[in-house]
Amino acid sequence: MAQMERTGLFDSIFTRLVAWAIAISIAVVLILGWIVTAKFQQISDDTVRWAIHNEMDRLSDVLEERGRDELVVYIEDAASIRAPTGSATHYLLLDEDGNRLAGDLAAIPAIPEDEIGGDIVLPGRVPAYAWRLELEPGLMLVVARETSTQLLQVNQIGLAFVGGGLFVVLAVGVTGYITARRLAKRVRLINAAFRHPEPKRLAALGTGHAERDEIGEVTRHSSAALTRLDRLMRAQRDTTDQIAHEMRTPLMHLDNRLIKAIQAQETAKTPDPETTERLIDARAEIRRVVATLESLLDIAHSEADVGNPRGLEQVDLTALATRIADLYGASAEETGHNFLLEAEEGVTMLGDEIQLSRLITNLLDNAFKYVPAGGTVRLIVRHGPRIIVADDGPGIPEEFRETIFRRFGRGAEHGNHDSRGAGLGLALARAIAIRHDMELRLAPSTMGARFEMRPAPEAV
Amino acid sequence: MSASGLEILHIEDDKRTAADLQELVKATGDRITWSATGSDGLRQAGVGDFDVIILDRMLPDFDGLTVVKQLRDSGVGTPVLMLSALGRTVDRAEGLDAGADDYLAKPFEAAELLARLRALHRRASGATHSAVIIHGAFECHVKARTAFRGGKHLPLSPKEFELFRYLIENAGDVVTREMLLRDVWKMSFDPQTNVVDVNIGRLRRKLEDGFNSPALETIWGTGYRLLDGR
Repeated sequence: MAQMERTGLFDSIFTRLVAWAIAISIAVVLILGWIVTAKFQQISDDTVRWAIHNEMDRLSDVLEERGRDELVVYIEDAASIRAPTGSATHYLLLDEDGNRLAGDLAAIPAIPEDEIGGDIVLPGRVPAYAWRLELEPGLMLVVARETSTQLLQVNQIGLAFVGGGLFVVLAVGVTGYITARRLAKRVRLINAAFRHPEPKRLAALGTGHAERDEIGEVTRHSSAALTRLDRLMRAQRDTTDQIAHEMRTPLMHLDNRLIKAIQAQETAKTPDPETTERLIDARAEIRRVVATLESLLDIAHSEADVGNPRGLEQVDLTALATRIADLYGASAEETGHNFLLEAEEGVTMLGDEIQLSRLITNLLDNAFKYVPAGGTVRLIVRHGPRIIVADDGPGIPEEFRETIFRRFGRGAEHGNHDSRGAGLGLALARAIAIRHDMELRLAPSTMGARFEMRPAPEAV
Repeated sequence: MSASGLEILHIEDDKRTAADLQELVKATGDRITWSATGSDGLRQAGVGDFDVIILDRMLPDFDGLTVVKQLRDSGVGTPVLMLSALGRTVDRAEGLDAGADDYLAKPFEAAELLARLRALHRRASGATHSAVIIHGAFECHVKARTAFRGGKHLPLSPKEFELFRYLIENAGDVVTREMLLRDVWKMSFDPQTNVVDVNIGRLRRKLEDGFNSPALETIWGTGYRLLDGR
């Protein structure tokens, strides 16, 4: 039964919401991290470039004002300053023949041909940014500034983002999980109440959650609707119980009086057999009324219980059919019928055993009544589950094929109202089938009648 | 009927039903105590020494189900037959689940009620059956699953043997159709046809074939009783 399934962890809307929140927070952290590092990279590149250009301007001024020799001295001085590793500046001054005039660089770093500046790697795998400039014809100046400090800073920013991001994702996950659990719990309460609408659950649903959010509203509506439904079902049950009680008790007293009258007849000096017979008939009539009442109440309750798993357990249909066949075998022989049981092994279903027995015996009683002596009645139980009672009797006339299942329906007794609980046997059988999420129908058959109980098509 | 009468506690709010039962058991030698409410019934059940309790399902103060639960919770193991105007299958199941030992719907046959009371008492008094049950000329060898009348073997089918065994276990008392259906065929309702009578008829023929005296007495409208077969 579909309504009994519980939502799986990965089907839960709350699990999916938390997963989405985590995924989105990861994406946001990644994008933010990328933007910030890129921006910082750009700023630090600009800083390095600005420092180099500044230095070049200065050296250019020295050359202009004091001449080449002073420049050489100036560069040697500058190159000899031990700046902190990672942000040191290196120099190289070359004449027109490519001879080194000053500086601490051994050769022109590998700056791309058509560029005048770019990223280079100094000996010892030190990353740096270099710029070259022809100060005057035949005098080439290269200034390089180490960038490992900047790279370190960028990496640290990246690390900070990874750490912070992890924390954000964790926080989103934990908060989401806790919130989702609380929401899921509230939704579960509603679902549980729908599954088993018991007064206790309904009361808990009505009082426990007064939140003014959407789920609170759904909860209140569900609680109100279910309480109303529960009250209706109780009222229906109470009414039928009362009808049963109010009818049965006087019938019992009536029956007792009849018994006394019969006993009085038996002990009378001049017993009147005709009176006794009428009294016995009257008792039989009471029995019929009680049987009819019982069948009607059973039908009403089967219809009210549709979809309610209360009172259902695993029933071994094979064993049940075997017991019933055992009971009916002898009487079939006496009435001259062939009675065959064809039951597959181990057929079980979730159901009410007493009701299912009644379904089978009602179908069998019906078959034995209408199949003439010498005919065959078969009780078939198959996996599915399917219960089939088939005969080779006169069959059911076309115009009665649906009405026979109605209470006191036309053709329910083939126009013959002699049976106890007249006209209710097939109606009750169908109500029992529906109560078990099954359908009971007259299956197409070339000969006789073939009643078949099988799972109801999902679409219905 | 058994020689010794039963001590019965009847918890029932309907005066007429109570009066009817009083009259009924006068004839059988049983003694009945009547309680009109659930609370009084509980008190009586606690102090009195009863063989069996008849409990109405609908009482003015308590639900019969509550009464039987309280009885069981307080350790009273006296067999309870629940009597009710609610005869639906679910009602029976509820009654038995609550701790009742048997369930009978109103209106009931007097003989049905008496037969069930005796069967309940017999079961509760723990009458363990020996390997061979003897009643009059009848013998039932439980383990060997064979039956004899006057020393002559009776050719019973397995089901007929089960029927015979049930009858001889309750020998002297009436067994009703509903009891047979419930205990021999494990079906708790009356299929409304004569299927039980037909099965009994076949057993009767086998029990009487070759003998001059009847083996079974039919109690009209109620059930059967195994005679001593002599």
